[in-house]
This record gives sequence, structure tokens and C-alpha cells, in this order.
Amino acid sequence: MADKRTAGPGADTPSVLSIRSLQKSFGSLRVLEDISLSVERGSVVSIIGPSGSGKSTLLRCASFLEHAEGGDILYDGQYALKDGVYAHKSELNRFRTRFGLVFQNFQLFPHYSVLRNISEAPILHGENKEEVRERAYGLLKKMGLEGKETAYPYQLSGGQQQRVAIARALCMRPEILYFDEPTSALDPELTGEVLKVIRQLAEEKMTMVVVTHEMPFAKAVSNRVIFMADGVIVEQGDPIEVFENPREERTRQFLRVFER
Amino acid sequence: MSLTTMIIKMSEGLTRTCAIFFLTLIFSLPLGMVVALLRMSKVKIVSAVTRFIITVLRGTPLMLQLLAVTYGPYYLFGATVARNKLIPVVIAFSINYAAYFAEIYRGGIESIPIGQYEAAEVLGYTKVQTFMRIILPQVIKRIMPSVTNEVVTLVKDTSMAFTVSYQEMFTIGKQIANSQTSFTPFLVAGVFYYIFNVIVDYVMGRIEKRLDYYK
Amino acid sequence: MKKTVLILLTLVMMVSLLTPAAFAADKTFIMGIDPEYPPFSYLGDDGEYTGFDVEVCKAVCDSLGWKMEIFGVNWDEKLVQLDSMECDCVWSGMTILDSMKEAGYVISAPYYDNTQVLVVKADSGFKSSKDLAGKIVAVQLGTSGESLLNGDLADMAATFGNVLTCDSFLKCFTELQGGAVDAVFVDMPVAASYVAKHDGIAIIDENLGAEQYGIAFRSGDAELCKTVDDAVQALVKDGTYAKIAEKEEYADIVNNLLFLNSEAK
Repeated sequence: MADKRTAGPGADTPSVLSIRSLQKSFGSLRVLEDISLSVERGSVVSIIGPSGSGKSTLLRCASFLEHAEGGDILYDGQYALKDGVYAHKSELNRFRTRFGLVFQNFQLFPHYSVLRNISEAPILHGENKEEVRERAYGLLKKMGLEGKETAYPYQLSGGQQQRVAIARALCMRPEILYFDEPTSALDPELTGEVLKVIRQLAEEKMTMVVVTHEMPFAKAVSNRVIFMADGVIVEQGDPIEVFENPREERTRQFLRVFER
Repeated sequence: MSLTTMIIKMSEGLTRTCAIFFLTLIFSLPLGMVVALLRMSKVKIVSAVTRFIITVLRGTPLMLQLLAVTYGPYYLFGATVARNKLIPVVIAFSINYAAYFAEIYRGGIESIPIGQYEAAEVLGYTKVQTFMRIILPQVIKRIMPSVTNEVVTLVKDTSMAFTVSYQEMFTIGKQIANSQTSFTPFLVAGVFYYIFNVIVDYVMGRIEKRLDYYK
Repeated sequence: MKKTVLILLTLVMMVSLLTPAAFAADKTFIMGIDPEYPPFSYLGDDGEYTGFDVEVCKAVCDSLGWKMEIFGVNWDEKLVQLDSMECDCVWSGMTILDSMKEAGYVISAPYYDNTQVLVVKADSGFKSSKDLAGKIVAVQLGTSGESLLNGDLADMAATFGNVLTCDSFLKCFTELQGGAVDAVFVDMPVAASYVAKHDGIAIIDENLGAEQYGIAFRSGDAELCKTVDDAVQALVKDGTYAKIAEKEEYADIVNNLLFLNSEAK
């Protein structure tokens, strides 16, 4: 079921991210079982599935927040994890600059202003302060948060905070952006503004993996949808196909809940 | 003895009281952080030993610890008793307060959501940068009220240096009270401690206010 | 309702203030001692308070049919504690000071002749108080030694480099043995009993102030004082007093007991 078109090293245009046979368990509980997927440059992949299916864990493995026990993780064809063995710490740090992660609960730094939240990390990485600031202002404008530079997170609504978090991730200029249920912590009336921003990024061909419960959004925006359940990828493919004509019974069951 | 003479005499002791107070803070505040980090160490034996030491320091009277630090070396190894009592006094106070601060720090550090560490990690902050820039500032804000409590207690605890004959303000007050068979020195001491703590309260309040820019 | 409570409380307080004056045969007599002052009063090997003063007091209470309780005072606040009714007397190798009488306390007949001495390290070479010019001398807070250094012996104290006040004589001696001070100024019997038990320290043979021990009572308790004084004299007469004093642990003080020696004379 894995996408066989993605090759490892040596392929002409390596995928931004490819994961092969990933294994992960918490104690005796298997949470990821033989997961393989790849994400092409400029594409948007949505991961859907019931809670506890392992979709968040998958993102957290891809961003090194969880340690997988087996399989490979490659960024641009380079091994971050090979056969269950991680690359050296310093190399992992270099891989970290390739992706950004947006959390469900934003995880902005409450003691920093919006501007500092966005700009501190790149500056710490040695980038020119003025350039980073310039970029941060640009991103804020893009997120519809002009004039909020000096505000503190507690002064913003949940939707605004999440857009700051997206700007913070983008300011690192990642090749791929992960979203871990970006709208789940938001009041329903605020999800729209965040989804709009993600949609806009998709139009700009930002490579993204989105774990989400927003089915219409997943259907409309993604290039590919992955349905996960019980730690395995049950089905993946073109969003129209997965949503309208799922091959697997498990997928049909899951989607039926959302139709009501 | 006139009240003025009494106050002048006791003010001389106040310098020593201040010495205990400030030196103890200077040493115990950072030492407490070291102890807190050891206490939270992933190496089980390190955290267990640290935990034991903390329970001993918090579970025995400060007065006993003062005696142990001052006279313990003599009784154990026949070492010379320090002539300048400020040294054992500050050592005992710093160790004792470090244990209390350590538990406050630990509570503060553990109250920071794990997501803050993860956000920093994904953004490429090193462990040290994460702690110094993201975690510590938030911890400091959260623990300020508890730290203020301890600092106020410290002001009053300085009088315990009396146990090892360090001539701080209260010791001198007691001596005057004794030779003059008068209660006035205790009243003077009470006023001194009160004023001291009013100042401490004001300063700590200012610091808390400065940290009030975010929630 | 509130008023009744108030009146009751006032009555209780008045009664409690009055009681010590009116003491009956079944009275409980509370003896105030410094529990760290051997051989007069201290915690014995069996964990019970003992000492010369304690034994005499016991005999007195037995002869008067009183119940006896012991209260360990904080030595430098002993008179305050006496005033606040925590004990009925202070009877614990207490030096009689003029200031006590001036303050109105009733003091018993003196029973012990006390001598103040300096204790130094045996190898220090100090032979008299003059050798201690510029040196550090420890004294116990609230003892007669301390008041002497602040009063009659202030001139001598001024020659010392520093006077360190400790809150117990054990600390004074520890400071001496640990090398932090050069001498301890202390009551002769305490010095004698400590030197007997510890090596390397010696008493300078120089009498630095003769004082007498007595029992302190509250200002209104002259009658109580007389009762106790009389009871003690009765014990001296029937030999009980001498019997207690003959015990080995009081060998250091027996020669300074005024009642026994005056009788011998």
C-alpha cells in the first residue's frame, strides 16, 4: 500500500519526506505498525482517522519528538533514521531545520511578544536580525496579523495565536510543514481563519502534512489523503476517491460518522 | 542604657544580620537550581540521593544544622572551629535554603507544559537555550510568590545565628535585654525585623509587577 | 451572654493571679532550673532531671508534703519566666545579683559561694587573666560571668580582644577546644566538673569574683521563700542536706556549700 514511486537515495527527484516501515510502540502497545509514506515537493497530504489511530504519533516521529524503534525516515533522500537507528545528534539538528511543526495547542512562548516568538529561533541560528525581522513582518501581514507584533499571546484569540504559530514555523523557512490537528483546540467560529491560511499556503505550493478532523477541508485542499486506524495505514489515495469511493470497509465506517 | 544607645548597639548587629541575609540569598538561589536539576536527574541514584538530602535538610531544624556545620567538623575530625562565625552561618543557611528553593524550582519547572519544550526543540533551540530562554523565565514568574515567602522567612531566621554565637542583631538584643533586665531590646528587634520585611515585600512586589507583562 | 463570658474570664484570670500567694499543703511546687548546669541541675544518665539543687528541692517538697514539678527555664529569660508563673522559683546555681533585689525579687539565704575562673587550653601557657590581653574569651549568656564582665570586671573585659557570648557553657568549651576562643570565663564548679571529664584544658588559678548562689522567688512570695528557707535549714539540721552533699557527683562543690561549712566552723 505504500507509495512505491518514492525511492530512497539515488532517485531523480527525492521526496521531501519519505518514511518506510516505521515501527513505534509505547511499552507493549504498538502505535505505529509498518508505516510507509512519502510526500512530494509542493503537495499537501492529509492524515485522517479516529483518535488513537497513531496519526499524531506519526507526525511526532517525523519531527523527532518521538523515537521510532524501526524503519527509515528520509528527508530529501537523506537518512535521519535508518533501520531503527538515528543519525548523529548534530545531523538530526540539521534535519530539524527542514521541517516546521504546528501544534494543536499552539505552544507559543507566553513571555515573548508575537514578533519575538516568530523571529528568535532564526536569529539564534545565526541569521541576520534585520532580515529575519523583515521576514517576520511579511509573514504577519500574510497571516492577517498586521500590527500585532508587540502583542503578547494572551492578548490574542485562539485563531490569532495559531496563525502566529504558523508564522513562527514558516519563519524558519522549512521545506515541509506539519500540522498536528491545528484547529482542534479552537472554537468552531475560529477554525475558518486558520484553515484559510493553510489553504493559502497550499496554493503557494508549500509542502504540508496535515493531521485533521476537518473532512471538507482535507477533501478540498489535499493532493492525497491517508486514512489511518489502529497504527496502520488502511487506505490512501486521491481525496475524491478516498472520500467518495473508499475501497476499505474500515474507511467507509469512519467516514459515515462525519456524513451525519 | 538609653534607647538611642540601644538602637545604635543593635544597628551594629543589623549589619551582620544583613550580611547573613544577602550572602544566603546570593548562594542559595543558584545552588537551589543546581539541587533542583539534580533532583530531577534521569539518573535514578542521583535523584534519589538528592531527594534524601533535601528531606534531611527540610526535616531537621535549621538550628541543628547551624550547630552541625559550626561544631560538627570539630567533633568529627578535631578540626578548628571557625573564629569568624559568619562563614559557618552562611554555609548552613545557604544549604538549608537551597533545599527549600530547590523544591520550589522543581514545582515551577514541572508546571511548565511539555509542549513548550517540544516547540523549542522543533524550532532548533538547544537544551541550554530552551531552559534559559523559554523555561526559566516562565518558572521565575510562577514561583515568585513562594520565593517571596521564603525570603521573608529568611529575614526572621537570621536571628537563629544566635545559636552559634554570631553577634547579629537579635543576639546583641538578647545580651542587652539580659544585662539591663529590660524588654525594650526585643521591641526594638521586632521593629527592625518588621521594617526589614516591609522593604523586602516592596522589592519583591516590584519584581512581581515587572513580570506581570504577560499571563 | 458575651458579658457573662467576659466576667467569667476576668474572674478566672484574677483567681489564677491570686493563687500563688495562697498555697496549701497539697500545693504543686514548680522548680525552675537550667537543665544544663551540672552539678546543680542537669539531665541525669537515666533521663531524669537531677543535680544538687534538684535533690535538695525534692527533700524540701517531701518534708512539706508538696508535689514537685521541674520546669526547664531559658536561662537568659529566667526571671521573665518566673514572673509569668511558668515556675515558682529559680533554683539552679543562680548567682544573687543586686539588680535582682532592686527589681523586687525575693531571694533566699545564700547557700553557695561561687568563684569565677578562666579555663584555657592546658598547653596555651596562659597563667593569669593578664595573659589574655587581646585574646577571645567566651562566656555563657545570662550567667553571672557575663554580668561580671559587663559590670565589676569590665576593666578586665576591656583588655580582652573580644568577648564571645554563647547560649550554653558546652558551646563555650567547644569553642575553646575547637580553637575558636582562647579562654572561657565560667563558674568554678562548672569549670571543675568539665575539666575533670576532658583532657587538654586547665583552670587558671585566679579567683576572679566571689559570688553567692540563692533561690529567686517572685516579689510577692516572701512567705513562700521563708517556708523554703526554713525547710532547708531543717534538712541541714537533721543531716539530710549533708547526706546529699556527700555524694560523689557533688565532690566539686561540697567545699563551697555555705550551710555545711558554717556548721563545721
